[in-house]
Amino acid sequence: MDIGRKLKIARDAIGYTQEKAALESGIGKSSICEFEKSKREPKFSQLSRLAEVYRKTIDFFLSDELPIENLMLWRDAPSIEEEIKQTEAEFRQLCKQYHMLEILTGEARKAKLPEPDVNKAEDFTFERAESFARKVQNELCLGDIPSASLKRVLEERYFVKIFHLSFIGSAISTVSVEFGTAILLNAKNKPWRRNYDLAHELFHLFTWNIYRNNHKQDILPTPDEEKFANAFASKLLMPEDSLRQRIDLRKNKQGQISLVQLDEIAREFSVSLDALVYRIANLFRIKKEDTEKYLDVAKRLAESHKPRGSDKPDKLPERYCSLAIRALNEGKLSLMQFAKYMDMNYRQAREYLTEDGDFKDEKISISVT
Amino acid sequence: MGISRMKKFQFLLLDAGPIIKLFELNIWVDFVKRCDVTICRTVANQAKYASQEFEDIRVDLEPFEEEGLIKIFDSEPSVNKAFYEKFSERYKAIIHDGEKQMLAYLCDSSENWLVCSADGAIFRVLGLLGRIEQGISLEEILEKIGLSQSNLEWEYTKKFCEKYTRMGQVDSIQDKGLL
Repeated sequence: MDIGRKLKIARDAIGYTQEKAALESGIGKSSICEFEKSKREPKFSQLSRLAEVYRKTIDFFLSDELPIENLMLWRDAPSIEEEIKQTEAEFRQLCKQYHMLEILTGEARKAKLPEPDVNKAEDFTFERAESFARKVQNELCLGDIPSASLKRVLEERYFVKIFHLSFIGSAISTVSVEFGTAILLNAKNKPWRRNYDLAHELFHLFTWNIYRNNHKQDILPTPDEEKFANAFASKLLMPEDSLRQRIDLRKNKQGQISLVQLDEIAREFSVSLDALVYRIANLFRIKKEDTEKYLDVAKRLAESHKPRGSDKPDKLPERYCSLAIRALNEGKLSLMQFAKYMDMNYRQAREYLTEDGDFKDEKISISVT
Repeated sequence: MGISRMKKFQFLLLDAGPIIKLFELNIWVDFVKRCDVTICRTVANQAKYASQEFEDIRVDLEPFEEEGLIKIFDSEPSVNKAFYEKFSERYKAIIHDGEKQMLAYLCDSSENWLVCSADGAIFRVLGLLGRIEQGISLEEILEKIGLSQSNLEWEYTKKFCEKYTRMGQVDSIQDKGLL
């Protein structure tokens, strides 16, 4: 496939018009038009600039193959198509960079994800979603308060690529033959909302082969699948035993617990008060109209919580940064490439170069036999 | 006798790191008077962009190009494609676009170019390609043209250049990196 056609594909993939591409790249609209129609070939520096603007690597244009872009599952997708495409393009770029860092440092590993005891999508029920949440909690050794370790376990033991960006929408999950499993969370959301989104998206990752087998690669989640994902998330983040223990500790002699006390429990589990109220309503079979009444008060209570500095997550995962620093100091990543991967400027990137930065020498390895 | 015939390095390709450093040291003008400098367009763009983060340094190479003090070239993607296809997937990702353009140019030319960089990855690729004598540190050049500087950072030193060139040589011996 020629470069012109690929330029058009790349521009469409990020949802840019030729005018927007010209504005972003500083290359004239008529030139972009001529490149895409293969009337003339861009110079290398122009191609490099367009690759940057389209969030592709230059290799995308120089390679003879056209990579197949994988499906991305959205939670609360924005209504504007361009927003979706631009967020997906940025997320995909980060995932590919992460995977490249894994390859460069020899850390590309795979781990088998837990699977539900269900083979077909039609066989899924709320009970099975609940038992699957218990299975995941045990297999991942998430303990009493799963939200405290869930993200870290997924990143470090299961190599799930988890990024935070500010975008319109809640979360995205994807499974790619190229770079593996990945989740994007909205950095603007509160920590409890992100925890819930993470657990929800996890359900999609774990059940990807059930809902999206080879013949149905482009299938979007059905309402039922979304409900099961919510049920799974709720049960995973608030395990019944630990939740009952917290409630027993706080309830009064009449067997009642105030919303302020529930708010404390929600904080401990790092879930929203809303999510906790729903979970309790389900656990103690509370009537729908009563639940709605509690939810109304919960909303007002939640408004009084002021954001904390620690609420803001890092865009890039810790493992990603660690691999990038290693690659730089082993001469496996140029400084410019490092700055781009780390989303920092050249001056900041320079500070990561250390004279004794390569610690791979066998002479300083510790024997563990 | 033309000015360029008096210059010490006649085929010198400069990477973004040394360009910025020379501006930072305020010896860029002296440097281009003493060396025959060639820069690829993508590196020139990168150096300009990167220098915008520095309060006191503005890398604008255009006036020097217009005066004929430096040469800036661009290339056809096909030249880079041929170069790029030599490498394994891992090595393709190591270097940035500007460096790809610079190294493709070096490998495509019959002249004995020297590359001055402050990037381990560049020296590593040169070591892999068996072109160890074509990588040079800024420290060495400055010494040879009488502009020696004390306290240059690690990435501009001869030791740095040698360390990463050696790594590329090891990859070459172990048959890693090239297809």
